[in-house]
Amino acid sequence: MKDETSQIEQRVKRYWYSDGIGEMMGGIMFFLLAVYFSLQQYLGDESFIGGMLQAGFVVLLIGGVFVARRVVNIVKARITYPRTGYVEYRTYNGNAVWMRILAALTAMTVASISIMVARRFDSIDSMVAVTGVLVAVILMVKQAWTSGLGRFYFLGAASLVFGGILSVSGFARGYNLGLFYALMGTAFVISGGLTLKSYLRENPMPVEAGDE
Amino acid sequence: MSNDLRGLNDLDRLIHEPARLLIVTILSTAASADFLFLQREAGLTKGNLSAHLSKLEEAGYVKIEKTFKGKLPLTVCKLTAKGQKAYTAYRQQMQAFMDKTS
Repeated sequence: MKDETSQIEQRVKRYWYSDGIGEMMGGIMFFLLAVYFSLQQYLGDESFIGGMLQAGFVVLLIGGVFVARRVVNIVKARITYPRTGYVEYRTYNGNAVWMRILAALTAMTVASISIMVARRFDSIDSMVAVTGVLVAVILMVKQAWTSGLGRFYFLGAASLVFGGILSVSGFARGYNLGLFYALMGTAFVISGGLTLKSYLRENPMPVEAGDE
Repeated sequence: MSNDLRGLNDLDRLIHEPARLLIVTILSTAASADFLFLQREAGLTKGNLSAHLSKLEEAGYVKIEKTFKGKLPLTVCKLTAKGQKAYTAYRQQMQAFMDKTS
């Protein structure tokens, strides 16, 4: 019974990813990060705009995530909910919030240690290598493992490959990161687009209006 | 064995019915879900789902809100605190029964 219940719970959670819209929005977010890091490299830390970009990174990131969630909900309301129904997911309770904070702190610690270790090798761009590993771990553990969707393993593998290749490319760090996020954005948009295409083919808009 | 089986008598019959158990399990995972999603996930007809939801609503396990999404009517269902408690108790009872009999 426990297995069956877990399967039902996983299916409900997986529903969020069934249309690929979230992935496509994630891809757009990656493109914006690509523009951000490339622009910062191009302008340099000394320029006023470059300094402002660096200082406002967290605000831009949080604002971007907030806007992205709103856009995903609006698009889902037009495409997904009329076809296969509406689900509102539970917000995190106190324990879950602390678990997330703990996970974020652990990830930051692992990233810092990895950068320190990677800096011992002069020929490797440690930042892009660690970013590749972190994005892969998040995709494989949080997305693929918890949702049971195999395509996130491929995206995680893509992150490892892109991070690994770019870490020895010899480009400037900002351009390296920009290229990494652009490649990941492309992978996400393609993956999301194919998922959406398949979803729309399998779930045509019902002729009957309303839900009852 | 008879003692083990007697434990089944205490099960909440309202939740124990397969279709309703499925509905309650789905609603225990999501904060709320609409009629269309429940119908698709549970594989029930509209009439059947309506009947089961009515029983769960009468027992105070499920809250049903009829709203509009644009011009389309939308029936949103959510598990109440009483329903969540009953579902948790049911799962514990079933688990205890399975442990005893396996």
